[in-house]
Amino acid sequence: MSTIASGEFWAFVGVVAGIYTLLGLGIQLEFGFAGLLNFGHVAFMAIGAYTMAIVVVKLGWSMWIGAPLAILTAAAAGVAVGLPTLRLRADYFAIVTIAFSEIVRYVATNEERLTGGTQGTINLAGAGEASSYNGQWERFQGWLQSTLHLGSKDVTMLIVVWVAALAGCTALWAAGRTPWGRVLRGIREDEDAVASLGKNVFAFRLQALAIGSGLAGLAGCFYAWQFSFFSPNDFAPLLTFFAWMIVILGGLGRFFAVPVGAVVFGVLFAGTRFFDFAPFSWFDSAERAYLRLMVIGLAIIGLILFRPQGLLGRREELVLE
Amino acid sequence: MSTLLEVNGVVRSFGGIHAVDGASFDVEQGSITSLIGPNGAGKSTLFNVVSGFLRPESGRVVLDGRRIDRRPPYAIARGGLVRTFQTPRALGRMTVRENVLIAAPQHPGERLPQTILRPRRVRGRERSARARADELLTLVGLENHADALASTLSGGQRKLLDFARALMTGPRLLLLDEPMAGVSPTLRVQLLQHVLELRERNGVTFLIVEHDLDLVMRVSDVVVVMNEGRVIASGRPAAVSADPRVVDAYLGARP
Repeated sequence: MSTIASGEFWAFVGVVAGIYTLLGLGIQLEFGFAGLLNFGHVAFMAIGAYTMAIVVVKLGWSMWIGAPLAILTAAAAGVAVGLPTLRLRADYFAIVTIAFSEIVRYVATNEERLTGGTQGTINLAGAGEASSYNGQWERFQGWLQSTLHLGSKDVTMLIVVWVAALAGCTALWAAGRTPWGRVLRGIREDEDAVASLGKNVFAFRLQALAIGSGLAGLAGCFYAWQFSFFSPNDFAPLLTFFAWMIVILGGLGRFFAVPVGAVVFGVLFAGTRFFDFAPFSWFDSAERAYLRLMVIGLAIIGLILFRPQGLLGRREELVLE
Repeated sequence: MSTLLEVNGVVRSFGGIHAVDGASFDVEQGSITSLIGPNGAGKSTLFNVVSGFLRPESGRVVLDGRRIDRRPPYAIARGGLVRTFQTPRALGRMTVRENVLIAAPQHPGERLPQTILRPRRVRGRERSARARADELLTLVGLENHADALASTLSGGQRKLLDFARALMTGPRLLLLDEPMAGVSPTLRVQLLQHVLELRERNGVTFLIVEHDLDLVMRVSDVVVVMNEGRVIASGRPAAVSADPRVVDAYLGARP
């Protein structure tokens, strides 16, 4: 019972929820607005994390260059994937993106000289030379902590991540209210109708994909800084579907539903670790680990049954033609 | 009068069946031209070819002296040729007003950098677009539904919304696919009045697919009759309705 009361633990949960928010925002823009089924979103997070780490370790550049470069590279990867595939039907696009995300993971696993391979970023500088990309980040975090008189590193990270997540949220919310956002929503409703009115559907979707991928790249940077070490298996397809769950839990079509979904998901995910009372106490810890995932699944199914439009969604928008 | 749209020898087939099989006709600037013919004559396919949603296997489509048969639908629409659909395409989870606003041409607010760099210009354009949208909604009698979701409209109302939305683009040539289907008799009269007015005041040209033959014969300058993928007759309504080939196509050939 000591962990559940620990502020440090909940700060950690909060940081992860913030990273998930950045990841979910991309899905919200791409699907909730532009109607794109991107099932390979995690690939752009991986590209962001690796770009930042490689630029810092291999090129020896500042993280202040590495991080923007990571975002741009992830966005460019989004464009590169979108150019040949965005004209595909939605379901085919979904298949291509999930394949792409696995390709990225396998490349990261096998291109050992570039990425450190299965051992992850610890191996980035080559065998026998443990590498670290976040010395500069730690110093920045320390400086911020002392400047703002914060209690711990975790709280500092919590604040930094959530400032970024809410800034992203606000920016997308504002963009969604412009005529640009209106065209995206129109495309989600009926792309042929929007094309017949003189709008270049392909160009709008490509922009949405680039922005969503760039945000995933930023999420990748935060992920890298938070864990100070990562490997290709951190970017398995499951993470993409966590982001999807968050967006659907929060409600489609609203950006501020994403942080709400992320917090609920994060608390569900972390909170269930402490189920040591009956009937959970009847099982041993290994069994409990699986039971916990079942409970999370049931809770999410229950939430969706009870509120199919998500926590913040509008019910009338759920009615399909 | 000059030719605005030229359809020349267009062929388009599906699985070996020639839906459109060498159709040719012209649409004169400022005219109301109707495309009629029995079911399966190829009218809808031809509409899709002309508006760029289908590519012809051979033949040419020329708008105002420029070939458009290889261009994507959005580019054709920007060139002033705008279509409506047989089943209206309301953007259900958007309001009726947004449905019309989305069609505003050359809106700077549709470029994200412009919304940040030139917010005043974007706001100004949005204001004028909104005024125009409300005007068009009043024109089709949907002004009281402006803030409702488009999914709440009836089939006939959606037809009117499609019409208003197409007008919002400021078209030179409007292709209407069965604009009167599902629209109540009173609204039909109004809609027709708008068509005539738009032609008079704004010089809009119309190409219409319509099954209501009485109406077609009453308002059209030129009637083009299709059968089995080809144009079998075209000309003034009186001449066309007296043409034995047209009667054959509709009623079956005489023995």
